[in-house]
Amino acid sequence: MRNFVEIGLGIIIAFLLYTIIGKISFSLSQLLNFFTLAVIYFAVAKGELYGACIGTVSGLIQDSFSLGVFGVSGLSKTLIGFLAGLVAQKINILPLMRNFLFIFVLISGETAVSIFLYYFISAEYVSEITPFILFQPLCTAVLGSAIFFLLRKFKVLSS
Amino acid sequence: MRLFLKEKKKAIILFTLIFFHLILISLQVPLGDKENYFERTIFSVFSPVQHGVIYFFQKVGDIWNDYFYLWEVQKMNKEMKEEMFLLRQENSQLRRALQRLKAERNVQNFISNLHESFLVTRVIGIDARNIYKSIIIAKGSLDGLKKNMVVLDKQGHLIGRIIDPISLKEAKVQLITDIDSGVSVVSQESRAGGVLTGDGKGNCMLKYIYPTQKVSKGEKLLTSGLDHIFPTAIEVGKIVSIQTGASLFKRIKVKPSFEFSDLDMVVIIPGDLRGISFEGE
Repeated sequence: MRNFVEIGLGIIIAFLLYTIIGKISFSLSQLLNFFTLAVIYFAVAKGELYGACIGTVSGLIQDSFSLGVFGVSGLSKTLIGFLAGLVAQKINILPLMRNFLFIFVLISGETAVSIFLYYFISAEYVSEITPFILFQPLCTAVLGSAIFFLLRKFKVLSS
Repeated sequence: MRLFLKEKKKAIILFTLIFFHLILISLQVPLGDKENYFERTIFSVFSPVQHGVIYFFQKVGDIWNDYFYLWEVQKMNKEMKEEMFLLRQENSQLRRALQRLKAERNVQNFISNLHESFLVTRVIGIDARNIYKSIIIAKGSLDGLKKNMVVLDKQGHLIGRIIDPISLKEAKVQLITDIDSGVSVVSQESRAGGVLTGDGKGNCMLKYIYPTQKVSKGEKLLTSGLDHIFPTAIEVGKIVSIQTGASLFKRIKVKPSFEFSDLDMVVIIPGDLRGISFEGE
């Protein structure tokens, strides 16, 4: 039960941040992907199955707020969530630099999967990709690794 | 069998989720323009949250401003701004109408139709995948919003149209800069008609203009009304470049008249505008 509350809270926080950032700046909302950060965080903490399920939920929420093919973000986030959980069990991704690379590669992968799916559905959608989206992995990885680092520090201090 | 399921549990769940998404994506192909009830449900559940967050921050900001600055002055200013906003809308539409209307009776009809129909609202969200595709506004089906209602900016320039899903207090607007949008337009000077679509990068393309048709750079484009969605004579954009190549049609780039940086408030014209002629009888 506690797991579900934590996860629900995590998704809601990601959604709130997504809403606030969108209101502050249109461009900033494309540079930072809070939903994927939530997926990665829980996939690392709880395992690949949780990662995949959270990826599905948060991806579909994101899809419902954008005018594209409903399910593309859901599918790409499901794959990324599963992969994040799987890799985190095999490699220690806690050091800051490794954590940054881990998030960067995962978000790049998610972007690539989305582009591939859109290309598969209609090549015209690919021409819509803005430069902001291509910078998303870097910006989100910087922010994500910093947040995860601070969360770990906070946990250590509080324990 | 049970052992196999236990061992392969993770893979089975993952493939079930992937299969679910593929079915979801495939279902949209035959649906075409029809609404997706699953998407509508998720949108209806989460859009009030988004609305609430924006409302909360808006209110906190308002209290702060009202308290620390001369709130009485600001209140008056706000009222005047709103009034000016509506008057500007009315003025811009009336200017266009007056250019075209011949009889005084038609002007009167036009004014009464137009004045009743304005609905001002805030933009509460944008499309995270591409900011040039859609926006979310803080009015929904409870305010009488329906699919294909026309959305304009503060100056009366065309922004787009309402599309599904529409929740009780929120709705999605497809921008004219979306590649899937289509607006029937006509150039102001040469009266060349074509279809305006978005390029997905903040600009639009005017399609189906033959090389023999004369259009010039800087010329304004207005809605023609032929699509039976947008009323006639709403300013849409300005031609910024024209290329004539080997293809059958000219390649015309259009800058939309509305500004993305100015999309905090929009105007919706409710009611079936197909019956209203902005050009007069």
